[in-house]
Amino acid sequence: MSANDLSLAEAKTSVFITSPNVRSPARPKNRRAARSHSRRVPDLVLESIVPVTILVIWDLVTRLQWVDPVFMPTPLSVARAFYDLLFKDRLLLDLKVSGITVLEGFTIGAGLGLATGIAAGLSSTVDKLIGSILNSIRQVPPLAFLPLIILWAGAGDTGKIVVVSKAVFFPVFMNTLQGIRSVAREYVEVGRIFEYPRLRMLRKVILPAALPSIFVGIRYGAGMAWFMIIAAEMLGGRHGLGYLLTRAQELLLTDQLLLVIVIIGLIGFSVDVGLRRLERRLLRWKRGFEG
Amino acid sequence: MSTTEAIEVEISGLSKEFDNDGQTVVALDGIELSIKRGEFLTLVGASGCGKTTLLRIIAGLELDYEGEIDLEGIPIRGPGVDKGVVFQDHRLLPWLTVEENVGFGLFRHAEQERRQLIQHYVDLVGLRGFEKAYPNQLSGGMAQRAAIARALVNKPKILVLDEPLGALDAMTRIHMQNEIEKIWRREKVTMVMVTHDVEEAVYLSDTVALMSSRPGRVKKIIPINLARPRNREDPAFQALRKEILTEFQLQTKAQFSYEI
Repeated sequence: MSANDLSLAEAKTSVFITSPNVRSPARPKNRRAARSHSRRVPDLVLESIVPVTILVIWDLVTRLQWVDPVFMPTPLSVARAFYDLLFKDRLLLDLKVSGITVLEGFTIGAGLGLATGIAAGLSSTVDKLIGSILNSIRQVPPLAFLPLIILWAGAGDTGKIVVVSKAVFFPVFMNTLQGIRSVAREYVEVGRIFEYPRLRMLRKVILPAALPSIFVGIRYGAGMAWFMIIAAEMLGGRHGLGYLLTRAQELLLTDQLLLVIVIIGLIGFSVDVGLRRLERRLLRWKRGFEG
Repeated sequence: MSTTEAIEVEISGLSKEFDNDGQTVVALDGIELSIKRGEFLTLVGASGCGKTTLLRIIAGLELDYEGEIDLEGIPIRGPGVDKGVVFQDHRLLPWLTVEENVGFGLFRHAEQERRQLIQHYVDLVGLRGFEKAYPNQLSGGMAQRAAIARALVNKPKILVLDEPLGALDAMTRIHMQNEIEKIWRREKVTMVMVTHDVEEAVYLSDTVALMSSRPGRVKKIIPINLARPRNREDPAFQALRKEILTEFQLQTKAQFSYEI
């Protein structure tokens, strides 16, 4: 027994001596496969338990009529509302309108936030010039600008785009600024040693180093954008998912109300999952605590 | 010192002060040092003797000092591709693969030349097969190899190494010392290395510059005239090691008695 242990220890040592510092690089793909393999329950099952339970309870409670259907319709009638709204009503149009408007607002807000964040991150003069005015604007809720913009530009999409852009701008701006400011000097020094010009330093050293932080802003901003487009549509206008909510409320169509809430949640969820995938891809060099 | 060999780096009257909470600390005081072309010189000294500061000045990363420092007769005005640097922490960029890190300094080259250079240096440091790995997938020794390759791709006139093996375990360290000597012989590049490991200094150097602390001065210059590759068990090797260690300890003791 002890002789066995000894020979094993020897074998380990000799391997170590012949190749003291060769460790095969574990590819992330293998690693993930190994992880889910070691777990008894697949992720999809684990993640579905709570949603399915909620659905079952909802069905029981409504089917047994413990709650008045006006307050809480059955899952089946919500599904029927989906069918009706999709094929006999205007759901596709509203989805399209909300989607396009939110994309426009997000692109403008994230673009401006990124550009301003880079400028303020690289130059403390720029930061001082615009810092206090931006911080003041930040304190005003995005929707508070809506009446003014409707006054200026009419009740079209402009107001909604501005509201969404404003909501996206600040998280992206602040996280970009913060990300750039926390780039390790050591990395910049490496760029200096190789005589990197300013723009190349920005593209190859500063932005990649700040990317994890920038992504936090983008993901948070995307969530805010989705909130804001729904809220803005509820306040004014004649289309979009937010308008469907208001209409369902006025007509007391509780099944439609619930349906639109579920759709809003599912879209927001999918966008976030997509962004997380993109983040994992772009930041695959980063290894953190994975739980 | 023979005058027939070309001088690569000439340092004269070099002094550097730091301001520490209103108190002036003299980091380097009147450094005089000549480094010959192709020479392997190590700076040995206790921690806080300013050897890293001296190295950073040679690399052009510190510009606020008094005195003169020339590289091939031209004053050093800043960092650049003619001065390769290897830090103690490998400083590979974590978002780039090994080959991208090695090619980090090659953005002015044509694509094909770039590829060839990267492959040459990846092979030189023995990292073939690990080109696509990210730094966080490498061991300490492998990361430092990649850092050395990155510092060499631009064929610098001088390579400065700041305790490059300081963070490695004893076994890897000895292995890497052999590798560094091999690279130095093949690339024929002037190397200046900071270390606090006396055996490492004797094993690798043509010249050991022993530094004293507070203020940092070059206390003694010790030529190592042993044939290469060197044998650590050789009595002459051991004698030199002991000689430097004695100097080293004398100076450390003196410093402690002074401070207490």
